[in-house]
Amino acid sequence: MKPIHFLAIAAALVVLASLPVWANQGVTFIVGLALVEAVFALSWNLLFGFTGMASFGHAAFFAIGGYLCGAGLRYATGVPFLALLGGAGALGALTAFLVGLVALRRSSGIHFAILTLALSEVLRVLIAYSTALGREDGLSAIPRPAVNLGVARLDLTSGQSYYWFLLVASALLAWVLWLVAKGPLGRVLQTIRQDPERAAFMGVDVWRYRLGAFTLSGAVAAVSGALYAPWAQIITPDSAHWIHSTQPMLASLLGGAQSFWGPVIGTILFTAINYATRTLIGLSEIVIGVVLLVIVLSAPSGVMGLLRRFESRRNRPAAAAGGGARVRAATVPTPAGEA
Amino acid sequence: MLFTIINGLATGMAVFLVAAGLTLIFGILKILNFAHGAFFMIGAYVAFMIVGSNPPSLWLFLLASVAAGLVVGALGFITDRTVLRRLRDVDEAYMLIATFAVLLICEGAVKLIWGVNYASINPPPLLDDAIIVGSLFIPTYSAFLIGFGVLVYVALDLAIHRTWLGKLLQAISNDSWMTGLLGVNVPVALTLSVVASFMLAGLAGGILLPNQTLSPVLGGSYLLLAFIAVIIGGLGDIRGAFIASALLGVIESASSVLLPNIPGLATYVFVVVFLLVKPQGLFGSAST
Amino acid sequence: MSTLLSIADIRKSYGALEVLKGVTLDVAEGETFAIIGPNGAGKTTLFRVMTGEAPCNAGTVRYAGRDVTRAPAFERVRLGMGRTFQVARIFPDFTVEENVIVAVEARRSSRGDAAAPRWFQTRPRADVRAEAMEQLERVGLADKAASDARFLSHGDKKRLEFAIALAGRPKILMLDEPTAGMSPADRMATAELIRRLRGESGLTVVMTEHDMDVIFGLANRIFVMNHGEPIACGTLDEIRANPTVQEVYLGKEMYGAEG
Repeated sequence: MKPIHFLAIAAALVVLASLPVWANQGVTFIVGLALVEAVFALSWNLLFGFTGMASFGHAAFFAIGGYLCGAGLRYATGVPFLALLGGAGALGALTAFLVGLVALRRSSGIHFAILTLALSEVLRVLIAYSTALGREDGLSAIPRPAVNLGVARLDLTSGQSYYWFLLVASALLAWVLWLVAKGPLGRVLQTIRQDPERAAFMGVDVWRYRLGAFTLSGAVAAVSGALYAPWAQIITPDSAHWIHSTQPMLASLLGGAQSFWGPVIGTILFTAINYATRTLIGLSEIVIGVVLLVIVLSAPSGVMGLLRRFESRRNRPAAAAGGGARVRAATVPTPAGEA
Repeated sequence: MLFTIINGLATGMAVFLVAAGLTLIFGILKILNFAHGAFFMIGAYVAFMIVGSNPPSLWLFLLASVAAGLVVGALGFITDRTVLRRLRDVDEAYMLIATFAVLLICEGAVKLIWGVNYASINPPPLLDDAIIVGSLFIPTYSAFLIGFGVLVYVALDLAIHRTWLGKLLQAISNDSWMTGLLGVNVPVALTLSVVASFMLAGLAGGILLPNQTLSPVLGGSYLLLAFIAVIIGGLGDIRGAFIASALLGVIESASSVLLPNIPGLATYVFVVVFLLVKPQGLFGSAST
Repeated sequence: MSTLLSIADIRKSYGALEVLKGVTLDVAEGETFAIIGPNGAGKTTLFRVMTGEAPCNAGTVRYAGRDVTRAPAFERVRLGMGRTFQVARIFPDFTVEENVIVAVEARRSSRGDAAAPRWFQTRPRADVRAEAMEQLERVGLADKAASDARFLSHGDKKRLEFAIALAGRPKILMLDEPTAGMSPADRMATAELIRRLRGESGLTVVMTEHDMDVIFGLANRIFVMNHGEPIACGTLDEIRANPTVQEVYLGKEMYGAEG
């Protein structure tokens, strides 16, 4: 990691960790939501930006984790919170594995997108039908838990302490995803995104890696949902709605899908725009829409792509001059090739 | 039973009216236009402004729908110039995001202009009745929808396969570079087809206004079903979209009778199974 | 010499069109085997069937004594089949070095190598990098290791593709028109590269090619196809003397056909 990146991450962590001290509760709450959404977006982008698969139903995994955790905290009070988080991850992974087992063999590209979308809608309809899960109203009044670490007991019932827990958990999840994305596994996934057939001719079992990435992504998305439920203290069928599935896509593309941290930057921007335009109904959509359009039309590599271009232009002005025009053709990921 | 089917066909034709423009624009530009639902909604609002909650006459209602089509067609021209034209050689996923951005802008604009209140609209005179055949009770508006859907389908099918412009557009869709080389003004032809697709969206907004709760979420509700119809029908295939829409409508209608508590479930399950069994669409061959 | 790759009675149709009408051939270990034929003869389809890129309708493909007819491409690669594409396919978003590193890592992890990468070590191992550089030196790209692969010239992309294929330590190298679209000078350089790599690693080479100078310079045996059927197979002199071949190419220069 370059020193400047390290500094940026350290500074961000300091600001985030000290937030409850100097910002009001409302802001802290919104930033907490942004942390959850950022992890959710990172999990989606592992599929899109690194493996080249566009899932349009990712909110389903978020909802699976959220409902499991919410129901556990409300009904099964004896179950430790960390077990609920682990359970959410396992259930998300299992669901993703089973879906991937069938869907990845039979479909790709736009069909895979619509297939995942339809599956997530099936889940949403079923949740909205289930009386135990509160039908359309969802599960409300979800209590915040206490975590027993053996040596110490962490009481997370206050907003502040749960915020800090949320921050640590999000940072850990992001770190694990970073290791995967930047390591040998991530390199293989990136070859699959760029040219699945070429990857196969290096001896890569493309299908198996896609399935693995999908499973991991589903697990992380489910954990992000599980972290969300006690923070918002409510979870509704809307969390599985396809509109929620578009959230990580927008964040990733806005921030830059080719960059690991792009989805985080995008989530921050979204949150900021939503917060700044919260008083006038309709304005936030217009602002976000315009920003997205400008990004896609002028800088398809997102904010991070712009930064990187700026960086390389400073370092070697001549080499970067031609780079801008070609970014579009070369760095745009191809969704899973039609095999 | 028969009632359910007729009801389903009416729903299906409503879906088709939205899907028609969607599949048309895909067939030519290879863009899956998320914003289509939003423009459909704008059409509905425009028509609503003209006729209000109780359309005074059938003619004014039809006129309002045509006006909605024209307004949205004009918006389509602007969208083509500012956005769609620049998306020609961008990757599929980025096209989706761009049109999604247009959807957001439209939704925001609708909220700003018309507010977030709900409005419900009655069918115009002559369409608020019912036809009774024996024990069968058919709302005239349903019959009108089915008739109108079939009419639009036949008109589109003829326009694409029989007219000079339709053939031209097919040629462009196959190989726009070559067609351009043959002296055809490709950009103008493309713009025309985009405007046609948007006009269809606006027209559908007007026609489907009755029995509808008008609110800023209207765009999303039809869009998803129309999307699915386009995918199942085979992307860019008008006939496929027509049949798929009818099928989806009947399934939706049947499931609302059989599983009234879980709306939509049967439709989505059907979509999942269909995509797994026949991912190439209704009339697609196995090789594509 | 033992047989390394053998295919028997391969048939392949696209719809009603039968492209391969029962093709049988054997490639011996260590030889350079060229497949030629006029346009539409089915060379590329045959190549795709041999590499596992496309399934065949009937017939068998045996490699190193094993039936691999139904084996997907990645399994054939793991058994020691390397290939290049007609239009060089590399990973444009990676640097030149990373292109070869992923190939080395893919080989190591797919063969259960003890030195396989571990998921939590983000940097490539030092020995992986050393091996990648070694391959780049073999193809003469070591000085461009740090540049973005997408900025390479056509000829350099082709070289990089060779390095990627070699990183898999293949026993047999399948080359689909290795000099297509190149200038005459680049063609000769590529032919020279193939000759050198073949000598260094004792590789078996199977290639389709249009450029007869390249083929005459490299191939031990030539297999001629027309209309999906084999019409001759033998050494250069045997092929030249073959009356059927002369008839097929009558009126054309031997290297006149285009891809």
